[in-house]
Amino acid sequence: MTPELTVLILTTLLQIVTFVLYAIPANRELGPGYTMSARDREPTRKMSDRTARLGRAMDNTFEALILFGIAAIVITLTDQSTPYTALLSWIFLAARIVYIPAYAFGWRPGRSLIWAVGFTATTLMLIAALF
Amino acid sequence: MTETTILAAYGLLVLLTILLQVLGGMQQLSLGYLMSSRDESRTVTGMTARLGRALNNSVVAMALFAPAVLILVLLDRTSSASLLAAQVFLIARIVYLPVYAFGIPAVRTLAWLAGFAATAFLYLLAL
Repeated sequence: MTPELTVLILTTLLQIVTFVLYAIPANRELGPGYTMSARDREPTRKMSDRTARLGRAMDNTFEALILFGIAAIVITLTDQSTPYTALLSWIFLAARIVYIPAYAFGWRPGRSLIWAVGFTATTLMLIAALF
Repeated sequence: MTETTILAAYGLLVLLTILLQVLGGMQQLSLGYLMSSRDESRTVTGMTARLGRALNNSVVAMALFAPAVLILVLLDRTSSASLLAAQVFLIARIVYLPVYAFGIPAVRTLAWLAGFAATAFLYLLAL
């Protein structure tokens, strides 16, 4: 298995952890009666700021994951894995791990800078896959 | 260009869409808001909002296009037909972005339809 694929699996596990970190307080705050309903109406109770941030962090991780996933799988399938692309993968993972607390605790401008690191790493990997 | 390089090129197109949407957000919402934890939701309008919707649609298209390409490559079933479908997909999605950004109707729907049909065709080839 290439390091790119290892990072892909680890990032997917990170997303599962993020989901749990979000779902537990969201259920406590909105009430299981609402979360288990068809959610046709807006919830009567509001989520806390921190829980809502974790929800947005999860949404953003999905977007990051699908782009990184393509970079990792294409690089592996085309036998283009190099120490350079492996390093970019680990940088991506580190950035996405730190992104979660950065969002939850509202680090500013830390969160945006960390996001930019992950974004740049993915871009460089896709460029490497292309040429 | 093979199917996999087309996939990588499409990934870059989606990254470009994210970048354009962030630049639009910087103009409409201020950099300070974007870097905050966005606890109060603010909405964008016009081209930035359209780029946001184009991005959402591009992510959905990618989630469907990528498995089709990867299945064909892994099964060694790529052919001139699958290459053509992948090329049609990429061109359709390249057209889709500016057409959505500038709010041109009909052409956007046609471009979306071409990408959708190309993806469906890839799945038929994979079966």
